[in-house]
Amino acid sequence: MNLGVIKALVAKDFSLFFRNRFYTLITVLGIVFYLIIYFVMPSSVDEELKIGLYAPVIPPVFELIQAEEGLKFEIFDSDEALKEAITDRAYEAGVALPADIMEKFASGQKPRITLYFSADAPDEIKDAVETMVRELAYLQTGQTLAIEVSAEILGRDMLGEQIPIRDRLRLLLAIMLIMFEMMGLASLISEEVEQGTIRALLVTPMSVHDLFAAKLIMGVSLAFTQGVLFLAIVGGLNNQPLIILTALLLGSVMFTGTGFLIASLSKDMMTSMGWGISALLIYSIPAFGIVFPGTITDWAKAIPSYYLADTIHQASNFSAGWGDTWLNLLILLGFNLIIVWGGIMALRRKFQ
Amino acid sequence: MAQDAIVAEELTYWYGDLVAVDHISFNVAQGEILGFLGPNGAGKTTTINMLTGQLKPKEGRAILLGMDVAKNVEKVQGEIGVCFEETNLYERMSAIENLKLFARLFGIHPFDAGDLLRRVGLAGREKDRVETYSKGMKQRLMVARSLVSRPRVLFLDEPTVGLDPTSSEAIRNIILEERERGATVLLTTHDMMEADKLSHRVAFINQGKIVALDTPHSLKQQYGKRALKAKVATESGELQDREVILDTPETPNAVHELFTQENVVTIHSEEATLEDIFISITGRSLIE
Repeated sequence: MNLGVIKALVAKDFSLFFRNRFYTLITVLGIVFYLIIYFVMPSSVDEELKIGLYAPVIPPVFELIQAEEGLKFEIFDSDEALKEAITDRAYEAGVALPADIMEKFASGQKPRITLYFSADAPDEIKDAVETMVRELAYLQTGQTLAIEVSAEILGRDMLGEQIPIRDRLRLLLAIMLIMFEMMGLASLISEEVEQGTIRALLVTPMSVHDLFAAKLIMGVSLAFTQGVLFLAIVGGLNNQPLIILTALLLGSVMFTGTGFLIASLSKDMMTSMGWGISALLIYSIPAFGIVFPGTITDWAKAIPSYYLADTIHQASNFSAGWGDTWLNLLILLGFNLIIVWGGIMALRRKFQ
Repeated sequence: MAQDAIVAEELTYWYGDLVAVDHISFNVAQGEILGFLGPNGAGKTTTINMLTGQLKPKEGRAILLGMDVAKNVEKVQGEIGVCFEETNLYERMSAIENLKLFARLFGIHPFDAGDLLRRVGLAGREKDRVETYSKGMKQRLMVARSLVSRPRVLFLDEPTVGLDPTSSEAIRNIILEERERGATVLLTTHDMMEADKLSHRVAFINQGKIVALDTPHSLKQQYGKRALKAKVATESGELQDREVILDTPETPNAVHELFTQENVVTIHSEEATLEDIFISITGRSLIE
């Protein structure tokens, strides 16, 4: 590899990138736009109580719960389904009633009621749910100590540390911001192929490796800088910055490799945008799952960006350390090798 | 004897079932200009692509300056300049920026872009973006870009196609200057006059094969016919054409008869053009 050649190519690519008004616009205004979205999102949490209920037999008084204001109540078919929903943070709290509750009430025994709470459910909600269940038992039996209650936290315990929606959203915004750079890079490369400038480059002493190294450096530095800048401004680097920066760097490599693949499929800026938006939608799914817990399941793990989104989410919102995130980073690295290699092969084919 | 700058040995390339270049062999001496002539699709560009390391021959080999191109692509590319048929400049960059980029890729430092731009007549517009240039200006810049590294071998693919006479003349002068400098030039063109004027030798390529290769003069002697064309006036005052073929045993008598027995009004000699010769050899026109 020739560093002088790579430096010249990178300088040329940056120069061309920022001379295209559209790329400049999405780069400069993109970060402003996403920052505005972040800062207009509510910084407080919604206090509406969502409760899941697993009850093979529903005591009559429990039906009164449905009428309570500010309370959302969903019936689950099994205890496992209820626990899974709460683990996925689709509900903050759940109540599981035993099948023999009515018999125990009738015989004067104390049925055991299990309360489930999501990791980030605050104490107020835990207290409110327990009080409500005891009150309902009292109304049903006329006795103050009619039940035994056990509480279980599902997932990571975020006692008193709920995450505001905008802090969940910042990851999605960061990923979308970076992916726009991916589309810009793809468009720049396909433009080079279509205009034939790549042929002019390939009859100089520069090697193809120099060319790809330059494109990789350009794509990664654009994406990485945008991501870091955005997360730094919105406080996304306050926890575990090294892990987040590592994840962002790997993510930038992944998106640059994807940019190569898109460029190999594209003929012009419009087709680049078309393919790019398709990739953007797919890559955004895991981040959507973090913004809206419970909306995705395990299949999202097949999407490479899951490991980027999950790592940054765990590190920035739950202060997860290297021990918790190394596997994600390793898988992300594996995906990177495949995507970048595939992208380079596809582009080489196109160049020839 | 000086080493040949370009040697093509049985060069062959095919795209699927289509044989684009079919076992062609030729050599170009150092400092020589070889005109490479043929209609569209004859295999000229594919041959250039193999000689410049853009394509690896399926069979045969290309040797430039003593180096096997396929085995020494980067070394060979450090010694050549290529001017493509289609304009492929960075349009959002200025002429100076385009040239400086390529100078850096060739590792040339320091580099005076201004001197080169003056040579191609672009002084004064060097800082303007290329997208604002006319076709002729872009083509002159393409030629300038191919000269950035002062190449020992220059490949010019239709450098004057579609240009106004001034731009064409400017480019022809540059080619002659490069020849004076000692550069070897492989020139493809549809302009027979240009090939005739600039080339030491011309190669006719048709359907992937070289069908003739020699100096323009020899080709004309070998394949063309020289003639005298005259207009004579009859007794009734009508003008009629007469033709006397030169270089035959009967020529002296025929000329004598023309002048003694006819009333010659005008007379001029006529030579076969390279276009005529190409048609007579291949049955095809160069421009199809």
